[in-house]
Amino acid sequence: SQFKDDLLTSPQLFPPMSPYDVDLPIQATEDVLFGSQFNQPKELPTDFSSVDLSFLPDITQYNKEQNRSEDGRETQKELDGSVSRNEDSGIFMDGSSSSCPDTTQPSPEASGVCPPLTPMTPMTPVTPASESSGIVPQLQNIVSTVNLACKLDLKNIALHARNAEYNPKRFAAVIMRIREPRTTALIFSSGKMVCTGAKSEEQSRLAARKYARVVQKLGFPAKFLDFKIQNMVGSCDVRFPIRLEGLVLTHQQFSSYEPELFPGLIYRMVKPRIVLLIFVSGKVVLTGAKERSEIYEAFENIYPILKGFKKAS
Amino acid sequence: MAAAGRCPSCGSAALVEDAHYAQQQLVCAACGCVLAEGLLTTTYAEEEHLREVAYSQSTGQKEQLSRCLQRGIRRVQDLCKVLQLPRVFEETAVSYFQRALQHPSFHLVSLEKKELLGGCCVFVTCRQHNWPMTMGTICSLLYAKQELFASVYLSLQKELGLSVPALSLADLVKTHLNSFRLFQHASDVPAPFVEDKDKMIARTMQIVELASETWLVTGRHPVPIVTAAAFLSWQSLQPAARLTCTLGRFCKLAGVDLPPPAHLRLKELLEILLRMASQLAWLRVFNVDKKTVVKHIGDLLQNRIFLLKNAFCLEDREEQCAAALREDSPGEGSPGSPLTTGGAAQEEGCPSEGKRQREGSPRPLLPPCLINPRKRLRTAAPSASDSAITGDEPISDSEIEQYLRGPEEIRAFRKAKAWP
Repeated sequence: SQFKDDLLTSPQLFPPMSPYDVDLPIQATEDVLFGSQFNQPKELPTDFSSVDLSFLPDITQYNKEQNRSEDGRETQKELDGSVSRNEDSGIFMDGSSSSCPDTTQPSPEASGVCPPLTPMTPMTPVTPASESSGIVPQLQNIVSTVNLACKLDLKNIALHARNAEYNPKRFAAVIMRIREPRTTALIFSSGKMVCTGAKSEEQSRLAARKYARVVQKLGFPAKFLDFKIQNMVGSCDVRFPIRLEGLVLTHQQFSSYEPELFPGLIYRMVKPRIVLLIFVSGKVVLTGAKERSEIYEAFENIYPILKGFKKAS
Repeated sequence: MAAAGRCPSCGSAALVEDAHYAQQQLVCAACGCVLAEGLLTTTYAEEEHLREVAYSQSTGQKEQLSRCLQRGIRRVQDLCKVLQLPRVFEETAVSYFQRALQHPSFHLVSLEKKELLGGCCVFVTCRQHNWPMTMGTICSLLYAKQELFASVYLSLQKELGLSVPALSLADLVKTHLNSFRLFQHASDVPAPFVEDKDKMIARTMQIVELASETWLVTGRHPVPIVTAAAFLSWQSLQPAARLTCTLGRFCKLAGVDLPPPAHLRLKELLEILLRMASQLAWLRVFNVDKKTVVKHIGDLLQNRIFLLKNAFCLEDREEQCAAALREDSPGEGSPGSPLTTGGAAQEEGCPSEGKRQREGSPRPLLPPCLINPRKRLRTAAPSASDSAITGDEPISDSEIEQYLRGPEEIRAFRKAKAWP
């Protein structure tokens, strides 16, 4: 039908979805919300013969039996992204969209009812052959920077603010803390500021704005320029012990395991460029990300590798 | 130009540089005496002073290397000689050192760090050739702080992109036991304490392997494990005489340091051995405790594969059960065969599970950090309100004002701290 033709001729709706592709625009907060609400479609139509998807890369690797919730979450993300783009390009013009009222939250019953949505399900990033982990790393710390764009008198700030500490002999910045979101900021006399301790990108931005407001109230013409997330740290637990000695043997070019120095294995993943600290207890710390998706992707990459060391000995 | 000096034959100061064909000569204008001729010079300074240039200087060999680099290379070579490493190691270490020093991140570090850099290069070379070398050894030779050595080592590994294989425990056992003084008779070592080196090495290796299989080695410093294993193996070879000797005394007699974690490793090893002993039929009659189990270490090691399997419920059995249970839930599409084998495993695995649970409740074979988890404050999962933050919320004035000091407060602070 005309609807399907539109989908086929607008390839920008179907970004290449190999598991190692970082260019997928992710709607960060919605992942967490929808992941928990998403119900598994109990059956997916397996007949894609009417839809020609040959222009898509990696389609041969795609496993059609995508019935695990974690892939469902990926589906959900892509659905949200695609649907919003669809709406922008005005493709959902005919009545088929009205037959699926919840285009953003497909329910199990709706999967058969909404034919335009099903061609999008092949686009989930697939960990070929094996299942995804089902574990979501939790963000523990976000480091961000912002430019207040005015020179600051640090002694003045330390005198007039309750939540500030300033010890110029030790460190050339004011250390300021706020309670909500619970964060710490380093404020330099040049007007640059570093904000640490937030648990999400939005919290970090909100906290940085609050610090900027404090500085404003202290009488400085502070602006809020070039806010940027510099680093994100996440952690999770794979729930089985890991033979680090084995991992360092098979992944020598990425791993550094020195029990004399540090009990964990330092794994420097190339794509995405993330450093993972892997411990014998199965806890994994991921750091070095500029975006949340890099942490999730890095974990999905490492999980099958770690599972390989679960049943050793 | 006339050179400074006088003619040796007539004493005249009128010295002229002249060329005899293409050869430069210094000639006295008064008497014609040739003072100097045919000097090979390399620099204008040398020509002015008419001095010969030494060979090593003229080849410029040393001039290409900075004094710092030369000193560093000498240190690396000395270190290799002290450790009695093969010649190949020295060349490799020197080349690593030269590469590292040219790297921008090491070019300008302090001299102390440069010396540690040399030690790191030797260390990396040893590890790459599977020569058992611990950082502790290098640090003690360089009188270095371990944290500083660690940071230099990690940045060296990163900048040069070196892949360093893991330390082989088996080799470490041999070299560590080499430094023990219990293999010959000495005045301060009682006769029953002297032991045969090969027997002790063999048994220590077996105990270290056992520790490695039971998760006592991963993530831990290797030397305390080897020390504790050596102690147990030494005790077990002649338990009658040696059971009363403590770990501390053993280390003092052997002439080695007692690393603090060794006591904990010893405790963990004894716990493993006790569990294994509980599975050995003829030992169940005796009430073995952690003192007496040492007498039976020989038997335990001989049958360790069987005993480990029975003493601990290996997690792969557990996993099979759990996995089979998961796969039984409505899945679709994939053919039935993996499910049926999973199901069969569940049936055979779990009943024996149950049986084992009844006798002596074997614990799962897990690393100690999972068996005794330290009570830790668990970070709460992000609540719904946290996730709803968009970052652009309006910020109330009152919230900001709580962080500002009032005027009286400022006055009080000024007075108290004499604020500059």
